[in-house]
Amino acid sequence: MIWLTWRQFRAQALVAAVILAAAAAYLLVTGNQLRHAYAADLASCVPQNSCFGVLNGLQTDYSGPRQLLEYLVLGAPALAGIFWGAPLIAGELERGTHHLVWNQSVTRTRWLAAKLAGVALAAVATAGLLSLLLTWWAGPLDAASGNRWGTQAFNARDVTPLGYAAFAFTLGVALGLLVRRTVPAMAATLAIFIVVQILVTAAVRPHLMPATTDAVAINQSTMASQAQRADSSDAPTGPVTIDLAGQAGAWVLSESPVLGGAGRPVPSSEVATCWNRTFGQGPSRQGQGKGDSMGYGSLGACLAPLDLHVDITYQPAARYWPLQWIETALYAVLGALLAAACFWRIRRFRG
Amino acid sequence: MTPAPVLEARALGMQYGRRRALTDCTLDIPPGHVVGLVGPNGAGKSTLLKLACGIMSPTSGSISVLGGTPGSGPEQLARVGFLAQDAPVYPHLSIADHLRLGARLNGRWDQGFAEQRIAQLDLDPAQKAGRLSGGQRAQLALMLAAGKRPDLLILDEPVASLDPLARRGFLKQLTESAAQHGTAVILSSHLISDLEQACDYLIVLVSSRVRLAGPVDRIMAAHQEAAGTGTPTSLEDLVLTYLEGAR
Repeated sequence: MIWLTWRQFRAQALVAAVILAAAAAYLLVTGNQLRHAYAADLASCVPQNSCFGVLNGLQTDYSGPRQLLEYLVLGAPALAGIFWGAPLIAGELERGTHHLVWNQSVTRTRWLAAKLAGVALAAVATAGLLSLLLTWWAGPLDAASGNRWGTQAFNARDVTPLGYAAFAFTLGVALGLLVRRTVPAMAATLAIFIVVQILVTAAVRPHLMPATTDAVAINQSTMASQAQRADSSDAPTGPVTIDLAGQAGAWVLSESPVLGGAGRPVPSSEVATCWNRTFGQGPSRQGQGKGDSMGYGSLGACLAPLDLHVDITYQPAARYWPLQWIETALYAVLGALLAAACFWRIRRFRG
Repeated sequence: MTPAPVLEARALGMQYGRRRALTDCTLDIPPGHVVGLVGPNGAGKSTLLKLACGIMSPTSGSISVLGGTPGSGPEQLARVGFLAQDAPVYPHLSIADHLRLGARLNGRWDQGFAEQRIAQLDLDPAQKAGRLSGGQRAQLALMLAAGKRPDLLILDEPVASLDPLARRGFLKQLTESAAQHGTAVILSSHLISDLEQACDYLIVLVSSRVRLAGPVDRIMAAHQEAAGTGTPTSLEDLVLTYLEGAR
């Protein structure tokens, strides 16, 4: 069975190997250039204390290739599902060759086991290698941006692509067995995979581990160091919002409006005096942008006696790896369930 | 110990959704025959053969082939060879690859036989199966089914894609090879003339039901007795009578 699996998969494996080799060559060359540029930039900017701008420039220079590579890593599992998974059984059913191969002296359970295991391994290995290369390549950029939680950053680094590949591949196989036609199975695989990815990224990932909520008091020091935006509604009863930066490396899920003593949202009339003192009277009642130049510190000092706070709900930086592993495991379990469904279905197959 | 019957079916039925493909089929085929399964298109021939090789399981009744449950395990699979309708092969694999497939997936594979067949048919082992003519494809698929040296060879419309001359040769070769290796054969066709040449046991299937089953000589004798002596009937006339009667 191993021989047959390999013989039928050989051409696709070759295509994948060529793409992988090309990507690896590109990543190794440009990755080394990126590393040198990063080291040189750091050496020049640290003495001048200008690293923020310099590293921003580096990120801009490499944002095009970075995005492209992220799409490649995000797309690899989908491609494995579409081109390796969906035709695996559907192709046999379309050509009628299941009648040939299921009547050799090998049970179809064993046939499916060899095919599933062999090609799934290739899919997971391909996605894993691509992710490994990109994670290494983007190391300096990720260190400079400090953003590990962005959708593309989290979904196209470290171990999650392995889970995606396992899931997408078995999804394709299962849909091929269910639909019995290659092209509709391919389309369904892509559609369902995208929906699951969006759902998990947006709705499941934030809750994989219980989030932490901190009440951050509004005073001079917190405002000076964390405030990014301050906005007070024009209506006297409207809300007051102050966006505060979370802890370094944390994934901020949500922030409340400015709250008073009993957790009640503070109406804008109560902060009007301080607001007018900081931003002046009239329509310009908000500050935007980082840094104390906006007068956030003095606003904080003014607001401090009112005993206000903002609730920040977040996943701490240390949860990055637990969440990577949990999500990977979640996808792996989904893949295993789909594989089990394939075994169950193929034994009851008719036609 | 007497050898197990080739095929034993009790009230066998198969239903696809609401459509009945096979109804209340009871059969008892003794060992050592070349069995012809005849009936119009859509009568349920393919369904019966697929149930016999274990590609699918019946929705009602029971079937046993060579004393075992069809498709129940590697041993049962090894004992039954199956050539599906339209003789499917892998278009991107070469003839040599198909031989290798047979060798890798079958413990009882007869490489000498397979190679000899390929040579007899004057086929290039390096040729891709997708490039073969319909007849050559049927020969390749048959070679795969027979090369695993089964005790029972099930062939679904094996000669449909062959020209009349090739048909004759194919069936002759099949019966000789079956006799030589003691292989039982069940083959289906909607052409009685094909079966008349090769078979000594006949099953007539019409609209999902078995209308007639038995050794050809006994069927003929019984029929001639009923029709009165002196009028020799051909098997074809006889079967046609059954097919018309079933309408």
